[in-house]
Order: sequence, then structure tokens, then C-alpha cells
Amino acid sequence: MATRHWHGTSSMGSLRPMGAERWWVMLFLMPTLLGLALGTFGSIFATIGLSFTNWDLLTPPKWAGAGNYTDLPGDRMFSRALWNTLAFSVLYVPLTVVLSLLVAMGLNRRIKGIGWFRVMYFLPAVCSPTATGLLWNWIYAPDNGVLNAAMSAVGAPSVSWLGPRMALYSVVIVNVWGAIGGGMIIFLAGLQAIPREFYEVTRLDGATALQRLRYVTIPALAPSIFFQSVLTTINAFQAFDYIYILTRSGSGNSTMPTLVFSIYRSGFRFFRMGDAAAQAVVLTAMIFVLTLVYFRLQKKWGET
Amino acid sequence: MKFLNATLLALLLSATAARAETEITYQFWGSPQEVDAWNAVARSFEADHPGIKVNVEASDWDSYWEKLKVKMAGGTPPDVFAMDAPLYKDWQSRGVLLNLTPYLDKAPGILDGVYPITLEAYKTADGYYGLPRDFQTIVLYYNKDMFDAAKLAYPDDSWTWDDLRKTSAKLTLDKNSDGKTDQWGFWAEAYDMEPLWGALVWSFGGAVLDPDAGKTLISSPEATAAFQFLSDMWLTDKLLPTSLQLQQYGSDGFFAGIAAMGLSGHWVVPDYAPQAFKWDIAPLPKGPAGRATSVNSAGFVIAKDSKHPDEAWEFVKFAIGEKGQSELAKVGLAIPVRQSVAESPAYLDQATKIDHSLFVKALAYAHMKPVFKGYDEWSSAVGDALTMIWTEEMTVADGLAEAVANGDAALARNK
Repeated sequence: MATRHWHGTSSMGSLRPMGAERWWVMLFLMPTLLGLALGTFGSIFATIGLSFTNWDLLTPPKWAGAGNYTDLPGDRMFSRALWNTLAFSVLYVPLTVVLSLLVAMGLNRRIKGIGWFRVMYFLPAVCSPTATGLLWNWIYAPDNGVLNAAMSAVGAPSVSWLGPRMALYSVVIVNVWGAIGGGMIIFLAGLQAIPREFYEVTRLDGATALQRLRYVTIPALAPSIFFQSVLTTINAFQAFDYIYILTRSGSGNSTMPTLVFSIYRSGFRFFRMGDAAAQAVVLTAMIFVLTLVYFRLQKKWGET
Repeated sequence: MKFLNATLLALLLSATAARAETEITYQFWGSPQEVDAWNAVARSFEADHPGIKVNVEASDWDSYWEKLKVKMAGGTPPDVFAMDAPLYKDWQSRGVLLNLTPYLDKAPGILDGVYPITLEAYKTADGYYGLPRDFQTIVLYYNKDMFDAAKLAYPDDSWTWDDLRKTSAKLTLDKNSDGKTDQWGFWAEAYDMEPLWGALVWSFGGAVLDPDAGKTLISSPEATAAFQFLSDMWLTDKLLPTSLQLQQYGSDGFFAGIAAMGLSGHWVVPDYAPQAFKWDIAPLPKGPAGRATSVNSAGFVIAKDSKHPDEAWEFVKFAIGEKGQSELAKVGLAIPVRQSVAESPAYLDQATKIDHSLFVKALAYAHMKPVFKGYDEWSSAVGDALTMIWTEEMTVADGLAEAVANGDAALARNK
């Protein structure tokens, strides 16, 4: 079954600009391209450059060689942040991808009020993480919290949701909840592009629901799953807002410092922009390597 | 031609008008009520110094430091800005502050009558790069309504930390009998050393740092005893709300009316004043090695790259003088650094009727909050580790060992 090419590329050809039109396209794209070149690439190169210096923001940067990188393994505040981010990502990425796929499949049907359901699932994605984070704080609160009130209503002992033992899981739940909406939209778009005939054919062949999922839906969605995995991984490594709101401690610190928090704190509070830049480069490198792995996996999966 | 002349004239006039008025910027962290107070100081300064205009700019604590660093890096620093004494060396050692010594030499006697312990923070080998603006000492706040309801005597200067613990036990209550504590005997912010644990360590005979700020000393037997005392009171007896319990009510347990006693500086007085409950203050309790509190100041510094250093200095001189300090004392957030003002009705007879002299008398047994390069990094390294004691991820001994290891690494990085 040639499901891999169902979305076809042939129709795209006619959209390619020709002759003089090409110059106009370039001209109109220029502002965006320049912004991208100066803003994004500029700051990437600046960050890489700064990571080899000691810069405190107040005096000119001084060359430090690889010192900022070789110091990182011994920096316990960085190690802790790295560990927290990895543990968070291992749980967050698969949960987010699988759950948003399941939700998308559940919402991919023509029933009354389906638009309403889709809006409901998408709502967290458009809310301010600060506001919803505070709401979750109240849900997780030890004595007056919604969750513990429910627990005691059924006679269960109350749980310290944001205490050291449960905090990681509680924080993952909130982040997954916040991310399902965005993932669902991607998967829903992918699902709706699968031609109905595929399902009709497999049904005629006597395939079960599970077989239809295995041989039609998943292969057809492979590009979306790949895209969503990469995006979710990037988000996981950059996770900050919900986690910070839920685990704040005194003087603007956190009981679950993440990499992004560590980068901010090293650079802007500890006068160590060079170190912060090195941490940012390490973060980017990890995301880059993982993205390569996904590419390899997708290729391999596509071949079989 | 006529038109041209008129235009030229207008241009000339506006140019001279601009020259006549020098504008300087004073930037600080603070609340809206502080902005009002500083505007009052600025207006009264302008009345005395025609030709100088002061722009007062405020932001909250976190964005203040961020803004300041970005402005400095961008080469457009404010002329005068506020400094938190512990962070002073981070700025002074990087050469971005103006040395005020030449100005001080031209104004002999200007520092007479300023509390010496507040000046100490800004003194360096080659003079002053900043001057104290106002200071804070920590005292014990107590909720009179809660003491009255429990028929207990108010705290006084005879109290020891053990008295505080015993009384806290009587004031930790489950008022609605749902099996959960809803009133705690005691609360204090335990991350930074200033409100609670610095004083506790000192009054148990320990030290926080060596004099050169090269070693963290909070795992000594004396300091360990102090942290063990807090651990017993907090984790064993549960006389303080945990940070998660506190979050349900806000960030200040005393302000929220869920703690019968709390530790804070003078900065909370304007916030506490309108509260529905009656409250008063007492000195910090004594420990095995006597009584201790911490003293910390906010100060003025002038940017080295200021285009108007002379005018900036005039403003600083005015604000630490009799008139500026009296104006500030009225806000009731901090204690004047000038003794004559701290002992005058301007400070003592504030709207909030408590014994304001207690904060000044505390100087007799106060230790200076340390001032060294890398304070924020050290404080965060130590604070993160100590937090693990209070969330019961680590024992007192392990948490202190971690705090010392991380703290010393932070100190080494800033040498």
C-alpha cells in the first residue's frame, strides 16, 4: 500500500515562481530574511562566540577558551538543572505526543458539537501559562487544594503534590495538559487529510480497527508524528514557565531549576554571561542531536 | 527674512533653556508609595537647586537589576541608582561606579552622624564608591490578637529562642478542627540569610562566612546547632508552615494572618499597618551566645559614565542630608542612616504607632549582612541547598554540607 505518498507533491510544482516574478518574491521576502539572518543567526553566532569568553555585562568580554565548557560538569547548580530537564523530558515528550494523538483521533469524527470539544481541548494552548500555572498551584495546594479535597472525600490520605517526591510528575501533568491542544491541531490536520477511501478499502479487506490504525492511520501520520516529536522535544528542553510558577522558592528561585532557568540565573543574576552562553550552546546541541536522531528514525521507518 | 530670524531666535532660546536645566535620572527598586516619596524628595531638591531636574524611575526588584545591567551594557546608565549593599562589590569591582572620595573630600563632615556600621559596607581600599541611603534591622513581629486569644504574655527582651519555640507551640492551632493546622506560631523567610538564619547562626555562636568571604562556615558545630534548632521547630514540631502550606495564603505568613509571630525588617511596616489584626514588635530572642540581628542597607551609587556627575553628587548629598532623610523617614519603609533624623520625630512619630527606636537600638547587637563580589550567586547556591533541608530531601547535616560545598564553589568562581 503506497500510503507514504498520499499527500502528493506533484501539485506543488505549479506554485513555483518563474522569471521576473522570482525577483519580486525575493524582494518581498527580504525584510523577513534579513530579520532572520540578523536576529536569529546573528544571536546564535553571538551566543557561540560569547560562550568562549568571560563576560559580566559590565566590562568587555575576555577570551576564556573552552573554560566555560570544561567548568560545566563541575557546576552542581548546572548539573541539577540538566538532570531536572532530562527527567522532565523523558516523561513529557512521549506522553504529550501519544495523548495529543489519542485526543485528535477521538475528535476526528462528525458528531454534534465536535467544534465545541475541539475548542475545549485547545483552550489551554491559548491561555497565559502564568495564569493557568497559578490555577494549578491551587489545585495542587496541600490543605485547601482541589485535588486533596477530592482525595479526602473518598477517604484517601492527602498528597504533597508539589513536594519533592511528586513534584516532577505533577509538573509533567500540567505541561502535558498545556501542550495537548497544540499537538492535537497538528494531528487533526493530518488525520483529516487521509482519504476516506483508504479506510473503505481496508474495511472491505476485513481489517480490524487495530489493523486500520497500524496500517493506515499511523503510516499516514508519520510526518506529523515526526514533526510533533521534534517540536515537543524542543519545548521540553526549553520548559520554564509552568515549572517556575509551580516550584517557586524564596528570592526568585525554584525548587526544580530547569536549564532555561539556570541560563537566565547565571547570565542575568550571577554576572556570568559566558557561562550562560555555554549552557545555551549545550542545550542547543542536545536538541540538535535529538532532532538528527528523529530524522534517522523517520528515514528508517519510511524504508520498511 | 523675518520668518528666518524668528526661527533662529526660537532655536537659540530653546537651546539656552535646555542648557539651563540639567536633567539627571535616579533609578531604584520600590513600590508606588516609594515613588511618591522619592518624587517629594526630588521636588524639594529641585527647589533648592534651580537648574537641575531629577527624573525618578522605579521598577520592581527583579526587573530593576535586569534593566540596570542592560542599560550599563548598552552604555546608557542612569546617573544615580540604588544599590543593595550585599551586591555593591559586584558593581564596584567591575569599575562602573564613580569614586565619591574626591567629592567627600570637598564636603568635610558630611558623613558625621551617619551610623558607622552602615558606612562600612561601602568602604573600599581606595575610598567610597557608594553611600548608604537607609538601613534595615530585623525584629520580631507578633500578632496581639492571637496572643490575647491564647491568654499568653507578649514577647519581650527577656525572650530566648527556646521561649519563642515554647510559645509557638501554644499558638499553633487547628481552629476549625478539620485535622489540619490553620494557625502557626511562627514564620520567617528562610531562603536568604537576612530575615532568619543569619541571626540564628550568630546568636548560637556561629559565623556565616570568614572575614574575606572565601569560606562558608555554616556547618560548624555552633551553626549546625542553630539549623538543628530550626529543623526541630519546623520539621519535627511543625510550628512554621511549610513553603507549600504558606503558598496557599501568600508569601508572607505574618501578613496573611496565619502566623502569630514573624521576623522582618522595617520594610513591612507600611504593608502591615492597615491589617485588621493588632500587632506590635519586640527585639529578636537571645540564643546561647547572646542576641543578634542583621543590618543591611540600601545605598546610592553614581555611574562612572554619568554625563552629569556633579549634579548627581548634589542630589546624593541632599538625599543623605537632614532634609532628604527626614522626607524619606515619613514613608516608614526604612530607617534613616543619619542619627539626628533616626532620633527625631520625623522617624519616631510615624503614622504607625510602634516603638520605632527598637530598630535603631538593634544596631548595638547587629552583624553586617556580608558584602562581597558574588553575593547573589553564593546566596542562591546556599539557599538552594538549605531548601532541601526544609523540604525534607536532605538531613540537616547533609544539607549544610551541600550548602558549604556549593557556596564555596560560588565564592571561588567570584574571586
